[in-house]
Amino acid sequence: MTAEREQLEADVLIVGAGPAGLACALHLSNLIHKHNESGAKPELSTENIYVLEKARELGAHQLSGAVMDPRGLRELVPDFEKAPPFDTPVGDDAAYFLTEKKSLKFPITPPPLENHGNYVVSVSKLTKWLGGLVEKTGVNLFTQFAGAQLIFNPEGEGIAGVITDDKGLDKNGKPKDNYTPGYELRAKVTVLAEGPRGSLTKQLGARCKIQGLNPQVYSLGIKELWEVPAGRIAPGWVAHTLGWPLPSSTYGGGWIYGLRDNRVSLGMAIGLEYQDPLFDPHEAFQRYKTHPFVGRILEGGKLVRYGAKTIPMGGWYSMPRPYVDGGLIIGDSAGFLNSQRLKGIHMGIKSGMLAAETIFDALRSDDISAHALAAFSEKVEQSWIKKELWPVRNFHQGFHNGLWAGLANTAVQMISGGRGFSDPARTRAGYEDYRKLNRERELVDQSTRFKGDGVLTFDRLTDVYHSGTRHEEDQPCHLVVLEPSICADRCVREYGNPCQYFCPAAVYEMVREKDAPKLKINASNCVHCKTCDIADPYQIIDWVPPEGGGGPNYEGM
Amino acid sequence: MKILLITEQRDAKWNKTSFETLAAAQQIAKDTGGALSGIVIGNGVAALADDLAGKDLAEVLLVEHDLLGAYTPDGFSLALAQVIQQTKPDLVLLPHTYQVRDFAPKLAASLGKGMIGDCTGYRYENGRLVFVRQMFQGKTAADVTFQGVGPWFATFQAGAFRGDHAAAHPSGKAPVKRIGVELSADKIRTKPLEMFREAKQAVDLTQAPIIVAVGRGIKAPENIAQAEKLAKLLGGELAASRPICDEGWLPMERQIGSSGQTVAPKLYLALGISGAIQHVVGMKGSRTIVAVNKDQNAPIFEIADYGIVGDIFEIMPALTEVLEKL
Repeated sequence: MTAEREQLEADVLIVGAGPAGLACALHLSNLIHKHNESGAKPELSTENIYVLEKARELGAHQLSGAVMDPRGLRELVPDFEKAPPFDTPVGDDAAYFLTEKKSLKFPITPPPLENHGNYVVSVSKLTKWLGGLVEKTGVNLFTQFAGAQLIFNPEGEGIAGVITDDKGLDKNGKPKDNYTPGYELRAKVTVLAEGPRGSLTKQLGARCKIQGLNPQVYSLGIKELWEVPAGRIAPGWVAHTLGWPLPSSTYGGGWIYGLRDNRVSLGMAIGLEYQDPLFDPHEAFQRYKTHPFVGRILEGGKLVRYGAKTIPMGGWYSMPRPYVDGGLIIGDSAGFLNSQRLKGIHMGIKSGMLAAETIFDALRSDDISAHALAAFSEKVEQSWIKKELWPVRNFHQGFHNGLWAGLANTAVQMISGGRGFSDPARTRAGYEDYRKLNRERELVDQSTRFKGDGVLTFDRLTDVYHSGTRHEEDQPCHLVVLEPSICADRCVREYGNPCQYFCPAAVYEMVREKDAPKLKINASNCVHCKTCDIADPYQIIDWVPPEGGGGPNYEGM
Repeated sequence: MKILLITEQRDAKWNKTSFETLAAAQQIAKDTGGALSGIVIGNGVAALADDLAGKDLAEVLLVEHDLLGAYTPDGFSLALAQVIQQTKPDLVLLPHTYQVRDFAPKLAASLGKGMIGDCTGYRYENGRLVFVRQMFQGKTAADVTFQGVGPWFATFQAGAFRGDHAAAHPSGKAPVKRIGVELSADKIRTKPLEMFREAKQAVDLTQAPIIVAVGRGIKAPENIAQAEKLAKLLGGELAASRPICDEGWLPMERQIGSSGQTVAPKLYLALGISGAIQHVVGMKGSRTIVAVNKDQNAPIFEIADYGIVGDIFEIMPALTEVLEKL
C-alpha cells in the first residue's frame, strides 16, 4: 500500500508521553514562553511542539512501583506539592531477606534503599497530571498515535521525523473502510522518549552507532495492585525483599508499598538474564505472594489491576549516545535509571528538562546538528544525574555471578567510589545467558503450568484480564517474528521456546499443527512490556507498535 | 471568483450532502463576491437540474450523456474535465462522498491541480481562502490553502454545513444550461453491473435463546460442522471463544467474551472451552450453563450449572444422535 501520507512540520516532536517526554515538553514550553515574553528573537511557538502517545489516554501505559525521589519533579514544577497527583509520602521503609518460610529484616535499611523524603506514587496518575499541565501550554499532545517508523535524513546519520501508525488495516495488512495512513511528521528535533526498549530507538540503533560501552540489560517488573481490608498496611509503608522464591543466581527482588485507601502495590523485578530458558517470571511472582510475609497482607483482599513492564538496569556504561543529527534520546529509552536505588522517574524528568534546554538553544541558533545537540550529553555530565549514576556504574554488572557476589561488589563499590571489583565492568545482553537444553523436537508440556488458586494467585490470562488490555482484533500482528522457522525447528530443541515462559501476558504459544510445532501469537493479550523483543534468544522478535490506542489500561498503577 | 459546485445523484435521487456543499458554496460566493454555478451530472436528470435551479446560484449546468447513466470513475472524470475546461472556474467544490472520493482525485490530477479533501469549514482572510480539515482523528484542525492558479478542488465533510441552510433563489429560478460532452465507450474501462447490497448474514447472538459455543477443544476447523449441526438441532446459534475466531475458523461476530459479544441466553452449551475470565465475562449471565471439557479442573466448571468431564468428540455425536431421534 503506497497511499500518499499527509505531511506536517513541527519544530519539536516528542515520541512518548511518559515522565521524561512530558517533562521535556513542559520545560521547553516554559522556556519558550519566557523567551517570547522578553521580546527576544526569533519568536518561537509552543504550538510547534508535538507529543505522540500510543495509549488510549494519558497515563494508560505508565507502569512503575513506584517510590519516587521528588528531586526531578521539584525542579520542573517547584510547587508540585500543592497539587499532589501523588499517593503518599514514604513513612517506614525496610529491607528483608526471604527464605521459603521466614523473613529476616536487615538490621539497618541499606542506604540506597532509604526512602525518607520520597513519595509512593502512581506513575500513571502522575503522568496524567503532568500531561494536563503540558496541554495548557499550547503543546499539541496526541494520544492514540504511535511513532511507527523513523524518517532518516537522506544523507548522513540522523532523524528527520516520524511516521505515525497506519490505522484501519486488517489482519493481512489490507485497508478496511476506516483506513487512514499514518502521518509523516517532520521535525527539526525528534525526541525519543518511548520508555524501555523503544521501537524507534531500536530502529535508530540499527542504523547509527549509538550503543554504549555495554549493551543495555533489563529486568522485567511485574506488578499487581490490591485492595486489602483496613488496617493491614500503613500508607507509606515501603518494603523491599531479596531471596525467595528467586534462587541466588537470579537477579531480582520484590516490593510491597502501602498506598492510601487500603491499596497495596506489590511486585517483583526480575533480571532478564537468567540461565534456565523455561523459567517463568510470572509464576515466580505468583509464588512470592504465597509467602507468609506477603500473604498475610493480602489475605481477604482482592486484585484490582495487573501490569508488566521492562526496566533498563545497565546503568551508566549501558547508556547509548543520546544525540544524533536532529534527534535526542531521553528517559528509559536511554537508560536514565539508578538500578541500585530502583529509581528512574526523577532521572527521566531531569533528562527531559536537560533535553529541553538543549533544544531551546538549538532552535534559537537554528543548529540541530549532532554537534549542537551533543550539548545534551555535556549537561547530563554536569548535572546530578552523573553524580548519582557514576558511583553505581558497576553495580548491576556485579550481580552477574549471583546475589552474594553482587552484594560483595556493592560493598567494595561503596568504598572505592564506584569502581567495585573491576572498572569498567563489562556485561553482555541478557539473552546470551540462557543455557541450551538440547532436547528432542517435541513441545514442552504446558498442562502442568502454574494455574493459581484464583484468590491469591492467578494464571497469566486472568492477570492479563486485570490489565485492562484491549486491541483492535482485526489488525496486522504487531509482534513480528522475522524467521518463524527458527521457532519450530531450532528453538524448540535448543531452548524449549522460552517465549512461552518469559511473556507475562500469555502472548506466545507453541501449538501442534499437522503434527509439526508452530508458533501461535495471541497479540491482543500484549501489555507492551517489550520482554519478548529483549529476551528472545535468537533476537528475531520485533515488537512494533500496534494500532494507536491499543494496549493496557494502567489507571492508578 | 468563479465557483463550480458538483452535485451528486443516483437514479435521479439527490445525495443530500449536495445541498450541504451548496450551502458552503453559497457562503463562499457571498464572502468572495464570486459567481456560483452548479452541475448536475448523469443521464435523465433534467428534473434535478430544475430543482437545483430553485436555489440561489447564478446558473445550473446540466451534463447528460448515455454513458453517464451509471457512475464510472472514467466517465465522470472525463466529462467533468471537459466542463471545467469550458467554464474555467477558480474553485470546484464537491461533497465528500464515497463516489467523490473515488473520482475527484483522478479529476484533479488529470488537470494537474491540487485537492483539499474532507474539509469541515473554511475562512476567507485577507483575500485568501483557508480551508480547515481535521487531523489526528479530530484532535486537531489544520488550516490548508492553495498555491498557484486554479481551478482548485475542495470537498466538504458530510455534516460540516447544513443543507437546509442553502438559500433559495431570490427571484424565481436560475437559468439551466445544457453542456455537451464527448465520451466514447472505449475510454471507460470499468463496466458497471447491477447495484447490489452485500447480503450480510447478521447474527445477533444477544437475541439467541440457545447458544452452542466451541473453544480450543474443537481442535480443527473441520470439526466445527459437528457443533454447528448440534446447534441447529437445538434451535440455537453457534458461537466461539476468542482463539477460534482468531484463527479465522469462525467470523469475529460470533466471538463471545471481553473482546466480543456479551450474551445471556437461556441455555449456553460450552464445548471444549476452558473458561478463561475473558470468555466468562461474556456469558456468565446465561440462565443455564452446560460445560463439556476434558480437564476436570477447567475453570468453566466453576460457573457451569451442569458439567460433563469428557471428550467433546464423544459427547457431541451422542447428543446429536439423541436430538435427531426426537
